[in-house]
This record gives sequence, C-alpha cells and structure tokens, in this order.
Amino acid sequence: MWFLPLFGLIIGALIGSIITFEIPVTYAKYMSIAVLASLDSAFGGVKAVLEDTFDGTILLTGFFTNTLIAALLAFLGDKLGVDLYLAAVFAFGVRLFQNLAFIRHCLLSKTLKKYNHKPGDSK
Amino acid sequence: MNNKKNWQLPITIVFILLGILLSAQLQTQNRVLSDLSMQKTEDLIVMVKNLSEKRVELENELTSVEIKLNQLRTSNADEENIIKNLQTELKEFAIINGTEKVTGPGLKITIDKDSPVLYIDFVNIINELWAAGAEAICLNDVRINIYTSIYYSETESSMYITVNNKPLTFPIIIKAIGNPNTLEKGLTLPGGIMDNLALFGAYPVLEKSEKLVIPAVKETPVLTEAKPVIE
Repeated sequence: MWFLPLFGLIIGALIGSIITFEIPVTYAKYMSIAVLASLDSAFGGVKAVLEDTFDGTILLTGFFTNTLIAALLAFLGDKLGVDLYLAAVFAFGVRLFQNLAFIRHCLLSKTLKKYNHKPGDSK
Repeated sequence: MNNKKNWQLPITIVFILLGILLSAQLQTQNRVLSDLSMQKTEDLIVMVKNLSEKRVELENELTSVEIKLNQLRTSNADEENIIKNLQTELKEFAIINGTEKVTGPGLKITIDKDSPVLYIDFVNIINELWAAGAEAICLNDVRINIYTSIYYSETESSMYITVNNKPLTFPIIIKAIGNPNTLEKGLTLPGGIMDNLALFGAYPVLEKSEKLVIPAVKETPVLTEAKPVIE
C-alpha cells in the first residue's frame, strides 16, 4: 500500500492546480518556507513508518504546526529585521536531507536483505 | 504491526496537503518570476527594446492617423465651401430664373399710349436689352424669364399686346437692371431700335435710374417630364 501516499500527492497537486490560490506576491516567501516545512514533515512521516515509530497524531500536528510556525517565524523575522527565514530554510533543509538519507538507507538495506535471503530461506 | 495499518491515512492526508501546498507555491512562484523585478537583465533589455520598437510603431501610426484626421477635417471645410458656393450659385440661378425679387441700377423705358408699337417691337427691345447686358427685365411688372411669351391678341374692335397671355396696358414700362449707360447705348445705337421706332413715330422715354425694383415671377412652372441626361 505504499502507493497510497503517492496517489495522495498527485490528487493534492491536482486540487491545488484546479483551485488557483491567489497568494499575494509579498507572502510568497512565507509560503515557500511553509512548503519546505511541510515537505520535511512528510518525509519525516515516511521515515517514521520505515523506523516503525510512526504515530499519526504526531505526524499531523507536526505537519500543521511546523508549516504554520515556519511561516509565522519567517514573517516575524522580517518584521524584526532578523533573517529567521534563513534559519528555517537551514533547519528544515538539513532535516529534509537527513530524512531522505535515512529513507534511502532503510530502503536499500531492506532490498539488500531481501536479495540476500533468497526465498526458501526461512527468516 | 498495528501501527503499520494506521500509517496510511495520516500520511496520505499529509501528502494531499503537501501536493496542494506545492502546486500553490509553484503558481505563486511563477507569478513572482513573471514580476519585472525578478527578470534577468538580458530579458529586461530585450523587453525594453521590443516595447520601444512597438512604441515607435504606435507613434508612427498615431501620426498617420492624425494626418488622416486633418485631411478629413479639411475635406469637411471643403464641403462647407462647396455648400456656400452652391448656395450663391442657387441665388444667382434664382435671379436668372426670375424667382427672386431683385433691385439695382438700370434703365426704365416708358412707352405711352399713342405710340404705334407692335409686339415684335417689345421682343426686339427686350432682346436688345439682354444683349446689352441686362440682368433682369420686367415688362409692366411682369418679370421676363425663359417662359415669358410676348404676342398679340385681337378682338373685333382692337388689337392688343399680350405678355404671358395677359393684355398689356398703357403706359408700358420696361425696367431693366444692368449698367444704365450700356443699356441705354444698346438701345440708342445709330440704326438701332430707337431709330427704328422713330421711323414709325414712336418715341419711348429712356430714364436711367440708380435703383430699380423688379418683382419676381408670379408663377413658376412645375416640371414633371423633363429629366436631366446623365452622361
């Protein structure tokens, strides 16, 4: 059932392209940081699934709070004259790559295990 | 393994939301990129070039259109001129046709009752007046125009001259507008009409006048058959 999230992503993209959001250009920056945060959360969720430490509530609350707080912090940073925007980009970017690296590792090791333990070998 | 069952729904929800956010962000970013301040310098230069070219084109078009407008305006003025000319022409034609009352200097010829004159003498006098440059003539207040007929009519006892089939009564007064001297000379040429009439003992009185009034034609014919030929 791994394709369900992918399917969800495609459906979401379709919905997003059908419903045209008119986000003012001045808020595009905060929007981009929110997207980065949500990307991080989504991959974090995938990682948690692979780690078997998945919790749905944590994922959903993390998704929403991360997204909103990232945008809000970036906004606040702009108001205060501090580039919190960069901090968010850095933090989420690093975590995103870590998550991706973990996912890659995990999938790789799983497939390698499958490959090594031929069918017939009882586990 | 219970967790494994549960993970699909939240992750799917998250991914749907992620998809929405991503596409929204893509659209926004596209708009941001199409913003002028985000354009590359080279693109901007090309844009400026194109726009200035277009501007030059449009300016050319504007000037050509303005020229056209001026032409139309002047042609409109021409039209007004034409109308004015036509109106003056119309007035002239009204004078020529005798449909308008006219005044001006001219010659007045009075022929009294005792003069032995025939209708042909009036025709001659009038022809002579036209030839001498008369612009309008009337015979006893009957305006002479192209439809005027001068003839005579007889009863048992007498014969009288008719103008437009109406009898002329003495004294007959002919008024002609034109240069008085020329008109007089036209009539008093040696061997001319005055001499001719004098042979028969008729002596019309010529009188130059600075201001004569000649009435308009009383009835103008209504044209029903005659049509101009278009060539």
